[in-house]
Amino acid sequence: MITRFRRTGVVAALLTGLALLAGCAIGPAGQDADRPTIRLAYQTFPSGDLVVKHNGWLEEALPDYNIRWTKFDSGADINTAFVAGEIDFGAIGSSPVARGLSDPLNIPYQVAFVLDVAGDNEALVARNETGVTDVTGLRGKRIATAFASTSHYSLLAALQGAGLTAADVDLIDLQPQASLAAWERGDVDAVYTWLPTLDELRATGTTLITSRELAAEGKPTLDLGVVSRQFADQNPEVVDAWRQVQARALDTVRDDPQAAAQAVAAEIGTTPEDAAAQLKQGVFLSQEELTSADWLGTDGAPGNVAQNLQSAAAFLAEQKQIPSAPDLATFQDAVYTKGLPDVLAAG
Amino acid sequence: MSAPAEPAAPAARAAPPRGRTRSPRFDPRTAFLPLLSLLVFLGVWQLAAASGIWNETFVPYPATVWQAFLDVSTTTDGVRGYQGYLLWEHLYMTLRRVLGGVVLGVAAGVLVGLLMGTIGWVRRVLEPWLTFLRALPPLAYFFLLVIWLGIDEAPKITLLALAAFPPAAVATTAAVAAAPVGLIEAARALGATRGQVVRDVIVPAALPETFTGIRLAVGIAYSSVVAAELFNGIPGIGGMVKDASNYNNTPVVLVGIAAIGISGLVIDALLRAVERRAVPWRGKA
Repeated sequence: MITRFRRTGVVAALLTGLALLAGCAIGPAGQDADRPTIRLAYQTFPSGDLVVKHNGWLEEALPDYNIRWTKFDSGADINTAFVAGEIDFGAIGSSPVARGLSDPLNIPYQVAFVLDVAGDNEALVARNETGVTDVTGLRGKRIATAFASTSHYSLLAALQGAGLTAADVDLIDLQPQASLAAWERGDVDAVYTWLPTLDELRATGTTLITSRELAAEGKPTLDLGVVSRQFADQNPEVVDAWRQVQARALDTVRDDPQAAAQAVAAEIGTTPEDAAAQLKQGVFLSQEELTSADWLGTDGAPGNVAQNLQSAAAFLAEQKQIPSAPDLATFQDAVYTKGLPDVLAAG
Repeated sequence: MSAPAEPAAPAARAAPPRGRTRSPRFDPRTAFLPLLSLLVFLGVWQLAAASGIWNETFVPYPATVWQAFLDVSTTTDGVRGYQGYLLWEHLYMTLRRVLGGVVLGVAAGVLVGLLMGTIGWVRRVLEPWLTFLRALPPLAYFFLLVIWLGIDEAPKITLLALAAFPPAAVATTAAVAAAPVGLIEAARALGATRGQVVRDVIVPAALPETFTGIRLAVGIAYSSVVAAELFNGIPGIGGMVKDASNYNNTPVVLVGIAAIGISGLVIDALLRAVERRAVPWRGKA
């Protein structure tokens, strides 16, 4: 009897312990089970998205919702989360979006915002010791980039522009931090990456080409805000609020760079001066530019973002990264233009 | 080699012989059951894929995965395998790394285990370090290996060696410490030196357990290949899986997983065969 009693006691103690543990998970504060939750995926590239997050503007604009921000390291991971139906909004590069909208993923999401256009904040840098001064000189060299990123896309485009193919060089897959380690050890000759790693590479390297130059040559890369189709259909007012705070953040980046830099610095763990320098290297559109035919376009008339994504998809198909590129209509349909341009000003 | 001649412990005798069927004759059930489970698995898979509940990225058809296997194994439309390497080349590079890492890790592990089992103060000095290392997931320290050793073969082999080292060392220590005291004292009484006791009594008595440790070490090293090939892992089966998951290419991920699993089974079967030949006295002492 005593043993049985003891055993029951132990089991009860274990169960209580488990129940306590389950109740004691540490997570974001201020989540209320009664309110619907908006799930946002963000990345730590300097953009207005971080300004929105840091200042809590979305929480302010949508007090009746739980807002959950989840940090992701790459667009590929965000695509996976969208496929799994775990995310409503995402901040993601144009190259992963082009892949997400193509076979075999066919992710039901729409582009609702252009967060920034890659300028000098993404670039191809060669180590000074290699003596390489232009992209053509990279033949037979070892180049690192984060595969499946916008930098990977830009690198392939830069090689193509110089008359080289991926087979002419030794391409390896390294995330920014690892590429910095490999660079300092002399294991790689050149790296295509983004800030803040890029700045550290520039100290001992030569910039061969930047994404700004590639954009001028017709191969721009963008950071986009995407929203799940189903979510946008059911909650258009939330999408409007989200676009308004993003537009407000763009204005802040342009008109009050100091405030924007402080918010970005807090989010990526750097100094405000550093964040300001990083923000300066990106291209941030004004509201007029954003809603012009060059970018998002207006309600019912999707702009050039669609062409841009389609040419990115065609390029990825050429590089055998996706089976084939969908037609332009698919991409035009994937631009969320509802209420543009007036809706942005309403905030 | 002098096999210990002590009366067998009843527990050891009762344990069934490992890796062998009792009947020397072919039993159709032994071949049929695994085959049946495979067929049922494929059937359920096909039904799950055809049901359309999940996106095809989550649950691709068996035929799609088979096609991916063929594509990865051959050159089609001028595309050679996956990222320019055929499946067997990916697998070969991974096996080479695992072999290198395991040989280094197990050799060091067995040596350290032997020292720790025979010399008391060595054990007290090294045990906390060993436990510390054993508790670390390889991903936690792989970045440091990249900084220290670069992005080529060195950090990968080191990671696999570090993964294989603790199980080999722990098993050897335990096995050596468990060598029958009666035998050791008898050998001593007969005038054996310390070295002779280690060579003729402790090592033979510890070998069966050590072999279990080696098999564990190989298994743990093998399960770390994806972590080891996280950076610059192509060619390599772990690098292939990681790269394919970057592109949400589920069929290739599944091909990679199957290749890792099946080659793991083959390696374990080989190790068991070696074990049977090397320590026929297992379970009999």
